[in-house]
Amino acid sequence: MDRARVKAQLLVVGGGPAGLTGAIAAAENGVDVLVVDEGLEPGGQLVKQTHKFFGHQGFYASKRGFEIAKILKDKVKNLGIKVMSQTTLVGFYDDCAVAYDRENNRTIEIDYDYVLLATGASERFLIFKNNMLPGVYGAGAVQTLMNQYGVLPGEDFLIVGAGNIGLIVAYQIMQAGGNVRAIVEISDKVGGYEVHANKVKRMGIPILLRHTIVEAIGKGRVKGAVIARVDENYRIIEETKREIVVDTICLAVGLQPSVELANQLKVELVYIPELGGYIPRRDENMRTSASNVFVAGDLAAIEEATSAMAEGYIAGYAIAQDITGKDLSKEMERYREELNDLRRGPFGEKIRKGLRKMGIDVPSGGYREENQKDFGPVGKLRAVIECYQNIPCNPCEAVCPTNAIDTGGNINGIPHINYEKCVGCAMCVMKCPGLAIFMVQEFDEYSVVGIPYEFEPLPEKGQKVILMDRGGKEVGEGVVHRVMVNKKDKTHVVFVAMERGLERTVRHFRLPTREEEKIVCRCEEVTREDVEKAIDMGFTDFEELRRYLRIGMGPCGGRTCRLLAAGILARKLGKSIEEISPMTLRPPSIPLPFSAILRGDEK
Amino acid sequence: MKSYKICIIGGGIIGSSIAYHLAKFGEKNVAVFEKSYISSGSTGRCGGGIRQQWSARMNVRLAMRSVKLFERFKEDTGFDIEYKQGGYLLMAYSEDEAARFEKNVKMQKEEGLEVEILSPKMVKERYPYINTERLVLATFGPTDGHANPHLANFGYIFAAKKLGVDVYTHTEVEDIDVVNKKIMGINTTAGYFKCDVVINAAGGWSGEIGKMAGVDIPTTSYRHQIFVTEALESFFPFMAISFDGNFYMRQTKHGQFIMGMGDPDEKPGINRDVSFRFEREMAEKMVKIFPFLENTRIIRHWAGCYNMSPDAQPIIGCSKDVEGFCYAVGFSGHGFMLAPAVGEALAQKLIFGRPKEVEIDFLDIDRLKGKSFEVEGNVV
Amino acid sequence: MERRIKNHPILDFEEKGYVTIYFEGIPIKAKENETIASALIANGFDIFGFTEKGRPRGFFCAIGKCSSCLVVVDGVPNVRACMTKVRDGMKVERQVGRGKPTWTEPE
Repeated sequence: MDRARVKAQLLVVGGGPAGLTGAIAAAENGVDVLVVDEGLEPGGQLVKQTHKFFGHQGFYASKRGFEIAKILKDKVKNLGIKVMSQTTLVGFYDDCAVAYDRENNRTIEIDYDYVLLATGASERFLIFKNNMLPGVYGAGAVQTLMNQYGVLPGEDFLIVGAGNIGLIVAYQIMQAGGNVRAIVEISDKVGGYEVHANKVKRMGIPILLRHTIVEAIGKGRVKGAVIARVDENYRIIEETKREIVVDTICLAVGLQPSVELANQLKVELVYIPELGGYIPRRDENMRTSASNVFVAGDLAAIEEATSAMAEGYIAGYAIAQDITGKDLSKEMERYREELNDLRRGPFGEKIRKGLRKMGIDVPSGGYREENQKDFGPVGKLRAVIECYQNIPCNPCEAVCPTNAIDTGGNINGIPHINYEKCVGCAMCVMKCPGLAIFMVQEFDEYSVVGIPYEFEPLPEKGQKVILMDRGGKEVGEGVVHRVMVNKKDKTHVVFVAMERGLERTVRHFRLPTREEEKIVCRCEEVTREDVEKAIDMGFTDFEELRRYLRIGMGPCGGRTCRLLAAGILARKLGKSIEEISPMTLRPPSIPLPFSAILRGDEK
Repeated sequence: MKSYKICIIGGGIIGSSIAYHLAKFGEKNVAVFEKSYISSGSTGRCGGGIRQQWSARMNVRLAMRSVKLFERFKEDTGFDIEYKQGGYLLMAYSEDEAARFEKNVKMQKEEGLEVEILSPKMVKERYPYINTERLVLATFGPTDGHANPHLANFGYIFAAKKLGVDVYTHTEVEDIDVVNKKIMGINTTAGYFKCDVVINAAGGWSGEIGKMAGVDIPTTSYRHQIFVTEALESFFPFMAISFDGNFYMRQTKHGQFIMGMGDPDEKPGINRDVSFRFEREMAEKMVKIFPFLENTRIIRHWAGCYNMSPDAQPIIGCSKDVEGFCYAVGFSGHGFMLAPAVGEALAQKLIFGRPKEVEIDFLDIDRLKGKSFEVEGNVV
Repeated sequence: MERRIKNHPILDFEEKGYVTIYFEGIPIKAKENETIASALIANGFDIFGFTEKGRPRGFFCAIGKCSSCLVVVDGVPNVRACMTKVRDGMKVERQVGRGKPTWTEPE
């Protein structure tokens, strides 16, 4: 039998953000690297992330996860790094490491000098009645189906957990055309970033705090869920139980590091809840208690992909330094600084606390915390930034062509805008990963709000929309004034005209649904708006309108729509119905079957 | 007094295609005059087929160029015209016709057209919903197709307007001002317009317009009826047509079947009334060949006209007797499908002195002055 | 039931490269680069099998960690549907309880 045996100076286990950056850092310094990855393609969970990442321009900020995956994969390819896909590292035995190549159903024995474990994490499960029913998914599974394979597993979703993953998945489900009926969160506050929560709130998705799932309803498949409020001790309050109709339940209740291989390598594991539970103890260069085993990414601590990449680089450089003897301390220092900035703010607190338990100190504070109070000069077209938490992120500052936006010296600072310098270009609106920047301009008769929009279909100029406030409440109707199409990175800006005064309230809109549309022609489902739009385009004759929209071309022969459409035309043109040129009514007056015509022929 | 370089008479697909292409190639001092509304004439009443399988070589060339332009119609004009390249199935019901088809296919292939010859058995295998009884042979051109003529007409008009062309609807041309055998302007119900060039694109009324300029246009209009059924699921992608069987039929994007036939007893003249005899004859013929029609219902029946030329080929060019009088007429039932190439060629001829993509000189009126000319046979 | 996303504001999903696989004998359309699990979900099949106690079992994590998606592929049981690519003509069946033993007879 043909035994595949492979040698590598560095064996990287896991081709996600941490593993790939580690492989890149090492290979760039001449180390011979092999990456073993379970997935159909490398990239890990990045390949299913469609949202833009926080951070700064030099480090993948404002790029979408799948785009970052592509950049990393290209780098790996250009460096000639060997990647085994669909291959699982099944064990570190005492004689070698063994990988299982699933595609060819064979094992591969691997000799290595160093290992970088970047095995990531798996999703936590949750105990509730009937929780194994098909239709109960991990949040990551829904992301995989939707964003990697283009499959939406249901229509109406319940999300359990309002951390960043729950919030992001809710938004992505809406983008894929599904409905999110509710997000339940057992604690008394949203765990994820406010800007992520705001994105789903303004679409009208309720975030029910102090709520949890009690039961999945259905036989064979989810048909609903029972949810309930909980008391201070997280106990279900019986009388608050209620059913909601959903067909898919999506659990976003956290991740646990995949420590199996670390354990096999006999590195020291410690239990630190702040970092995700059992994790390998490691130093600030990501070296574990075994001198040739390094870790990075979610295995090292449940955090974000950006920090995973920084950790991957540090580990890769540290390994390369060991192997080649080159001094790479500057490179490592650069990424430690990145990590410090990522963890400096209020959202880094848990991580800081956890790392301190391992003897690693991370600085905190040192950024601007005060919000900008000023709404800017009335009447001027300007950006309004609604980003009030210290998030390590500054693409708005970097992209502004007139330097009107600053975060006060540290990327964790709250961005402020200098309205005198703002020229109203909306670049920041398109760039902001939190979709937290809007354009505003007041006119005498009306106001216009520019809203970041990442949904299909994109509305057209002149189209009526339903205006929504920050909480998703419908507050009136508006008309699309202008659409700035952002072909490159797909955050478009839709400027909507609305009643004066609403510019401080409206932060989202939706298109009228089928049911809300006002139908003129039942046979061809032509709406009043279709007719009005056609007239605005320049159609002035009833017959032209008929031919363009197919009004009256259906089986009813125009009985329902003829006068309605003529009425709209007359009103729009300021003419009387009689002045609208008379229509031609052709035989047969009701649908006439061929069979009847043939039968008449028989004498 | 309002003046234009070029006045086009007729707001159908031919006039609007010429207007669009003139503007596209840089001549924007153009107006279109339509006596009723856009698509009120033959364009708005036609079957919408787009066919390249002709018996006359020049028609094949013109149609092939048109297909190229239909393929990028949306790109050019921003209008989705429901264009579908679902093919054209030509059905022969006599040995003579089959022989002619074989000869035509040879010529069509020489022109680079994709066509295949199908036996009745092959037709049945591919399209089990067709009854192939009595069928002798069929040909299939996969790049043929159909589109919505109304939308194409509006598409050209709106695109032309956007480029600066003026369009006058409900404006009838009452006379053409010719002095010393030269066009000076036109008299319309909206007043006098000075111009250097008049283009007769009046379809069914092209003969009358010719008379106004003192140019004899040898075309005659005949009524042609069509009806449409209620919608069925989409399963019939191509246009089925037979010349000796005398019918054509396609399914629209909206699922309706639209079909028609010619009537050799039709009297010349514009007539928009419809006859029940037509429905009877069609029902009898069509249900036999397309049995699924039996339980389908006809919902609308109308009539337009074929503006016939003596050889069933269009008459395109500029008069040698009256300076500035041009024409694109006599399309004999095929104006819609030829319009893109014709509009382009005539616009190029007027602006650059000659067409760039496809020759049209042979289509000038002179060819009909002699006794012998090749008559296009592939006409329903 | 077809659950494929037709229009997406950020992503492009190619409408090509389909193969046919059989689930419980029913031919279904699968994209050539997807997993068995996504093909089943896309075609409306949520129950991938039954546990030994007869409980219907779907899939949960999608990344090969939870082993909730075991199916029988061309007679071979215990195949993780979320980690196995489809192949034209592949026969997939619901796994009921433990799988039946399969082997290749020596030649």
